[in-house]
Amino acid sequence: MTEFAAWVESTSLSKTLFGMSWLWPLCESLHFIGLCMLIGAAGLLDLRLMGMFRGLPIRHVKALMPWGIAGFIINATTGALFLTMQPHLYLSSGVWWSKVAFIVIAGANALFFETRLALPALAMDPDADTSPGMKLVGAFSLFSWFAVLYCGRMLPYLGTGN
Amino acid sequence: MAFFHSLQNSAFTDWFLGSDSIWTYPTVLTLHTIGMAILVGASFVINLRILQVAGAIPLQRLQPLYRFVWIGFAVNLLSGLVLFVTEAADRVIDPVFYVKLLSIVVALSFGIVVKRSAIGRADIQHVAPAGSRVLAAASLALWIVAIVSGRLMAYLKH
Repeated sequence: MTEFAAWVESTSLSKTLFGMSWLWPLCESLHFIGLCMLIGAAGLLDLRLMGMFRGLPIRHVKALMPWGIAGFIINATTGALFLTMQPHLYLSSGVWWSKVAFIVIAGANALFFETRLALPALAMDPDADTSPGMKLVGAFSLFSWFAVLYCGRMLPYLGTGN
Repeated sequence: MAFFHSLQNSAFTDWFLGSDSIWTYPTVLTLHTIGMAILVGASFVINLRILQVAGAIPLQRLQPLYRFVWIGFAVNLLSGLVLFVTEAADRVIDPVFYVKLLSIVVALSFGIVVKRSAIGRADIQHVAPAGSRVLAAASLALWIVAIVSGRLMAYLKH
């Protein structure tokens, strides 16, 4: 992995991008905007699945999801740019790998919801209580996304990611 | 000015920024980011809905989101105060800091007006009045200004 990081760092792409002093703060700003879009949209669906916002039809909340997915795409793109500019910083950090793991977990959880729970959830009466499975999936999703945020923000201060 | 210098050069600041513990500066900074996610995330959803995104959601059903707006704001007011103390002298002369504060105050005020004029009104179900939509669009833009200026402040440290 160290070799891979060294190779990335040696590419002209990495050097050119890192040489643009404005690109890093721009990507950071976009990364923060993307995270608000993602946590705002996904968070409301998660809270609804957990049984809050009773009376709010789940299928209507889902109409917000393209904005959450757009936030995720913004963050994956800016994240890939950070990685290209400073590969050692991330690839050598256990905290960064934990962040990646939580993203995979959150994604698997969302996939589980889409394939196993979405149909009954969408058909639910707006005032009915959600099932224990839906509550669990909602809570798990919320926890995972905040864990992603925590790992990202704490990365410079935890472990080897200095 | 002397007062802000005394804050920035206080024993508290030395301990807070100099400590090796993750429970001082890193944790307060992370709380500030978590608060932002809650505050701006909830505000984004409210404002987008006012602008007819997910237009099938009955407006009143989003009222509980304001609780999250205030929780996020409280977290960030407190964590922001601590962060301010440790850089007080630099921040009071930093125009970007004032841009950030002003955009937060105006974005929040617009959010309150939107609540009164659209979200909390029993006679409005699905389409917010034109005035509320203008405020929602402005509020959305101001939250982005607040985020960008907050990020830029980190690059203007002395």
